[in-house]
Amino acid sequence: MPLATSLIVGLVLFSAVLIGVLVARPSVTISRDGKILAFVGLFILPIFCGLLGFASELDRSKTTAFCLSCHIMEPFGKSLYVDDPSHVPAAHFQNHRVPADEACYSCHTNYAMFGRLKVKMYGLKHVYVYYFGHQPAPEDIKLYEPFNNRECLHCHLGARSFEEGVMHNADPATLTAIKSNQLSCLSCHDVAHDLVHMKGAKLWKESK
Amino acid sequence: MMLSSNPLEKRLQLAGIFLIAGLLVEAICLFWALPITFVIFAMLGGFLMLVGLAIFLYSLISKT
Repeated sequence: MPLATSLIVGLVLFSAVLIGVLVARPSVTISRDGKILAFVGLFILPIFCGLLGFASELDRSKTTAFCLSCHIMEPFGKSLYVDDPSHVPAAHFQNHRVPADEACYSCHTNYAMFGRLKVKMYGLKHVYVYYFGHQPAPEDIKLYEPFNNRECLHCHLGARSFEEGVMHNADPATLTAIKSNQLSCLSCHDVAHDLVHMKGAKLWKESK
Repeated sequence: MMLSSNPLEKRLQLAGIFLIAGLLVEAICLFWALPITFVIFAMLGGFLMLVGLAIFLYSLISKT
């Protein structure tokens, strides 16, 4: 367990013990100091612990391990290791164009305002379907909406390879069309999590 | 454990019990980084904490 999480758990347990003392001996709240203790123990600390814990949970929900912990996502995790540079997710993951421990989140979040909240809502829906609904086959999983270039341009915009790329500048209108999301990046970079054709593909073995 | 006969103290005890339950749920959930623990943390832990805080705030404004 990371140190930060351990500290939060420690604070949560400390708060629980303090509240336990107040529950066991509520008469201590008669005095002025007792009232302050009750306010801190029953109001300030729980809110503080709740917010810290929630922030920690949100942070951990960005990790690749978190996304791949559901069995249905295993083929998508495997697709990150395909030994093929034309396979966009694999090339990004293996070359650390996205942080390896936040690979899914880096591309599949929404970089618009409140976008993270929106994808968290999608995530809650995923959990509901996973545990209580009918799970689709991994090949049948589709995005809720077409992949927005904004997610690619979050990193690539301004990069030399993007701005001065030969194909991107072959037609003067191309770059503008990409930046305004009229021409999808995936219309050319079209091999993304190709689960159907991935079976039997050579996989990259990460050297430890 | 017996709840106090004093209404104010009784509400504080109830608030404390809900808060302890919520905090324990949150502490347990922090041991795993899984989607289901995230949901339990936010839904069950958050609900228990909110109930505890609401009872505590009510005890502040109640007459007894």
